[in-house]
Amino acid sequence: MLRKADNSASWAVAASLILFSIGGILTTVVPPLVDSSWAKPFENSDPAKGPTGKLTQLNELQLQGRAIYVREGCWYCHTQQTRTLLADTKRSGWKGVDSPVSTPDEFVYDSPHLFGTKRTGPDLSRVGGKYDEQWHRTHFRNPRDLVQGSIMPPYPWLVENPQEFKAIVAYMQSLGRAKNWRPNEDYEQ
Amino acid sequence: MQEQLSRAEIAGASAPSGAIVHEDLSAKWFLVSAVSYFFIVGIVALVIAAKFVWPDLMGTIAPLSYGRLRPLHVNGMLFGWLLAADMGLTFYLIPRLCGVKLWSEKLGMATAGLWNVIILSAVVCLLMGWNQGLEYAELPLALDVLVVVAWLMYGANLFMTISQRKYPAMYVSIWYVMGTIVWTAFVYLTGNFAVLFTTGVNQANLNWMYVHNAVGLIFTPVGLALAYYFIPRSSNTPLYSHKLSMIGFWSLAFVYVWTGAHHMLHGPISQWLQTISIAFSVMLLIPVWAAVYNFFATMRGQWHQLRDNVPLKFLMSGVVFYLLTCFQGPMHSLRAVNAIVSKTDWIPGHAHMAVLGAFSFFAIAGTYAALPKMFGKPLHSDSLANWSYWSFMMGGLGFFVTLWLGGFWQGWQWNNWAIPFIDTVVALQPVWLVRFFSGILMFLGIVLFSYNVLATALGAREQKA
Repeated sequence: MLRKADNSASWAVAASLILFSIGGILTTVVPPLVDSSWAKPFENSDPAKGPTGKLTQLNELQLQGRAIYVREGCWYCHTQQTRTLLADTKRSGWKGVDSPVSTPDEFVYDSPHLFGTKRTGPDLSRVGGKYDEQWHRTHFRNPRDLVQGSIMPPYPWLVENPQEFKAIVAYMQSLGRAKNWRPNEDYEQ
Repeated sequence: MQEQLSRAEIAGASAPSGAIVHEDLSAKWFLVSAVSYFFIVGIVALVIAAKFVWPDLMGTIAPLSYGRLRPLHVNGMLFGWLLAADMGLTFYLIPRLCGVKLWSEKLGMATAGLWNVIILSAVVCLLMGWNQGLEYAELPLALDVLVVVAWLMYGANLFMTISQRKYPAMYVSIWYVMGTIVWTAFVYLTGNFAVLFTTGVNQANLNWMYVHNAVGLIFTPVGLALAYYFIPRSSNTPLYSHKLSMIGFWSLAFVYVWTGAHHMLHGPISQWLQTISIAFSVMLLIPVWAAVYNFFATMRGQWHQLRDNVPLKFLMSGVVFYLLTCFQGPMHSLRAVNAIVSKTDWIPGHAHMAVLGAFSFFAIAGTYAALPKMFGKPLHSDSLANWSYWSFMMGGLGFFVTLWLGGFWQGWQWNNWAIPFIDTVVALQPVWLVRFFSGILMFLGIVLFSYNVLATALGAREQKA
């Protein structure tokens, strides 16, 4: 069959499409059919099975904040996944408590997904509840006022727009909250 | 074999009887636009590299912030420069390999016009922050539709040319171009349309399949098509083995598409899918080594030509970078290595070696080689071309090597959680400074290259040697 493709363009096209589609179908169409956790929102009330909690959809303000996060390209430098690496669970942790790893059922409502590929800044998958609004206000205006040596760009136009600022903070406080893992020392408690 | 000339080469005189005269208008339009975007987006690249060192640079102007300029850099380089250059060069080489004229120059020029509309609109959209939030698929839906239309126009033109070919046996470059056209259609539709119907991990899986295959099944096959054409052409040596090139092509067709999930190793995606993607990532060594061996074997006894043949310098350095980048790829999809390098600055070092070091080098070589034929006069300056090679080479090596070392170092620091995250940022400052200065060298290469191209295209006739 492949020899025939030497002299026939239609054979070559057909063969390259068939070979391509085997892997194409098995790795994109099949996995969500096999693995139900991709589509089933996280819910657990049994502490024996790990952290309890329930994934809820974002409200309108949080969704607006999410759109700002997408617009400003935050996701180019911040990942949103605590990987199955010990270091990740430590770094996403808070006040000595390790973060649980991210699982597919925590992201069921996400579109666009914001897992990210590059960690120029820290991972944000569990940032919700860690810093209060005043911290975020100062940090967005000039990150270097709070974190010496940070290279995050300043975002004065977010701070100066009360609606946008409220929205982006509301979104960030929602991150990683489906699993109820946080220690009592976060600012909200 | 029939003589083949371009319209410019016969310069108004009547063609020798029996010769095929190529108009090359579509190729010229695409190449000149591509080179212009290379220059403009090169400036953007320098700005975002500078922002790593001076984060307050242009910091209060929203459209010029890092988050807006980065997608402009990525999309501009991938689609404005590289894909446009690849399309132009395939408009040049496919008719020549088929022994017929391009099926429709009008359609080709219309495609080039539409492509420019897409790229210019993309610049506006990305600066305004109209970003879909999916990597490589940032452009708004309306532009995605235009890309599909342009791609169909491009594909139809080349397939009609191929179907009218004089020589029944197809040279390997023709397969790679056909593969590019067909696979791109599916890969692009998955990455830009199918993703919109999914959420969460399912969407991420489609997104990575697209991101990976944008490189693997768009830029790789069309880049190899250029290398397979221009290496034997520029060195005036026949290709070492047709059979080996078949092994490379068919294994690429089968293996590449499986590897998307390796972008989420250790992440929230099914373990079995991660394992599959690792296994197939390692198998990528087969198509890569088949192609690279073929190029090296072709050059056997011909290496002395590298001394003063600039296109060949770019081509063979591109082959070495291709070999290296495609050795890195399989290696950092192994779980143990991935735990160190993933998400670090190693990754841009790797990605730039693929897109700049390998595929842009092939496209630059093709441009230098094809330009004198298309315009019917020698290149404006061989010496400038040589200088552009060394600027790209030194800048590129500086960029790649510092980011690999820096990225590895960063990964080790991350894995020691006693080190606060901000300290790992501060530690990388010298690396980013070197990256910025390497960027200046690379940009110098772009300036020399684009000046040479435009001077050749617009230069007065008296410069003819």
